[in-house]
Amino acid sequence: MTKQGAPALPAIEVRGLNKKYGNQSVLEDVFLNVRAGEVYALTGPNGTGKTTLIRCMTGLAFPTDGEVRLMGRNVHTDGARARAFLGAVVEAPAKFYPQFTGTQNLQIHANLAAMAPGSKRVGRNRLREVLALLELTRMADRKVREYSLGQRQRLGVASAILAEPKVLILDEPTSGLDPLGIGLIHRIVTSLASDGCAVILSTHHLREIATYAHTVGILTGGRMVDTVDLRARQAAYRFRVDDPVGAAAALEKLPFVRKVSTRTPFAIAHLGSEARVPDALAHLGQEGIRVFEASPDHFDLYEYYRERVEQA
Amino acid sequence: MLTLLLLEFRKLLGSRSAKLALILTFVLPLVWAYAPRLAQVFGVNVISGWQLPAISLGLTLPLLLPLFISVTVAESIGSEISHGTLAPLLLRPVDRTKVIASKLIAALSFPILLVATTLAGSLLAGIPLGFGTFTGGTGLGPGLFVGVGQLGGSEALRQVLHAGLLACVILLPIAALSLLFGVLYLNTAAASLATFATLIVMQLLVVLPEGIQKILLTYHFKLYAYGGYTNPGDVNQGVILLLIYTIGFGMMAIFAFDRRDV
Repeated sequence: MTKQGAPALPAIEVRGLNKKYGNQSVLEDVFLNVRAGEVYALTGPNGTGKTTLIRCMTGLAFPTDGEVRLMGRNVHTDGARARAFLGAVVEAPAKFYPQFTGTQNLQIHANLAAMAPGSKRVGRNRLREVLALLELTRMADRKVREYSLGQRQRLGVASAILAEPKVLILDEPTSGLDPLGIGLIHRIVTSLASDGCAVILSTHHLREIATYAHTVGILTGGRMVDTVDLRARQAAYRFRVDDPVGAAAALEKLPFVRKVSTRTPFAIAHLGSEARVPDALAHLGQEGIRVFEASPDHFDLYEYYRERVEQA
Repeated sequence: MLTLLLLEFRKLLGSRSAKLALILTFVLPLVWAYAPRLAQVFGVNVISGWQLPAISLGLTLPLLLPLFISVTVAESIGSEISHGTLAPLLLRPVDRTKVIASKLIAALSFPILLVATTLAGSLLAGIPLGFGTFTGGTGLGPGLFVGVGQLGGSEALRQVLHAGLLACVILLPIAALSLLFGVLYLNTAAASLATFATLIVMQLLVVLPEGIQKILLTYHFKLYAYGGYTNPGDVNQGVILLLIYTIGFGMMAIFAFDRRDV
């Protein structure tokens, strides 16, 4: 017999966050939850409060109202304990002491990370490991002032993942990186999330993020105007057929089809999983509908974002 | 806390302004020792190496040392903001109070280092003049440079060390004030200017009745030459007041930093 456990607490929980500078409101009533293993992409036009939200979430800025919890601990009243689980880069490129080498900077962060109550020491092997992971071994003993922007940004990510965080918050992590560097960061983020780390990253690269983020929050004018669950969106398939309306009507009859629409010459159906595609094709054949092509109907996050921001 | 303290000292001693200040405070006393118009300016013929610390402190304490301290201490916050290195520090699981307290300790140690290098430079410059018994005063004890008769080496050394300690006490509130302005402005130039402006305004308040002047920081800038005070109680009163200023400014910096957006 299995026991039904209580639902797990969100790793990152933002409740009713408001932030004002004087009379100017920068964030208004922002709510946000990110569970362990989830990649949450925060996006929105420039100047809409993404960086302020990230600074509030990491405890660098204090909200006018509302609260932020990391692994259940309030980041503003119990900051040291809350940040014990946190790895973050809040500026692009990440900032380090330019007079020290990459290794020395990471050692400083390792020593500071070890100040958390009950945390284990970050050894030199871990330092070497993260430097190798971010392809910075060659630069390890060079002073940070000699690093390129992209190398600084990678060192920032190395510093953020150094103490094996349960919560990772990254502001524009791929800013200044070449395509290979961007791919590297994506792989690292995906790998951490699959190991149970909750990740929030702010980005403008919507088409990239759509390939691995689970949720996208759209922030406009300081308000979270939409939260898109990409997992639900990506289970749609499109069928190029001779009669899209007839095909849509036929697909709607199937019990596993959640939603149907048409976009001539396609009939689009949300099937729940890829395994249902042969069943759908067989059913269309039985109904006398000729199918020329079947493929995943990728959700166009960019188009959706554009519409959503224009409406807001 | 030790990790933070070591980091702060490493940053302080690695900063260009601190290095420059330490070198200058060590080298300048060597200049006084051989300055041709020294006797005319001070009205004293330097006859012993023990007299150079008073000259060095007299020349640097009203202006140069406060300037070095206000800039270097303000930089301990301001340069972290401009380089963006304070935020990554605060993203680690460290208490904000510990971060600013370690900055405060490093800031308060800087005047001590400057006074130490000033005295070391002065004593080095005094070697050709010798450190034996002489007739006159160190400029720091009773009778100032004129003295009260013959002065032995050990008594002269005691006076110099005592004056050094008092000079540190005079400079401590300036370091704490500069850190406070650093936290409030998060900018090196603004914080060091504010510190200096505060000191200058206090000096301009010389027009106030003496009772009010006595509670001003700048009134006690000559405390190091404790031999100039007829009543030893005034020296103790000055020391207590300066320590109250230091603690007050330090506590204000800690409280201001605790809820400061970075």
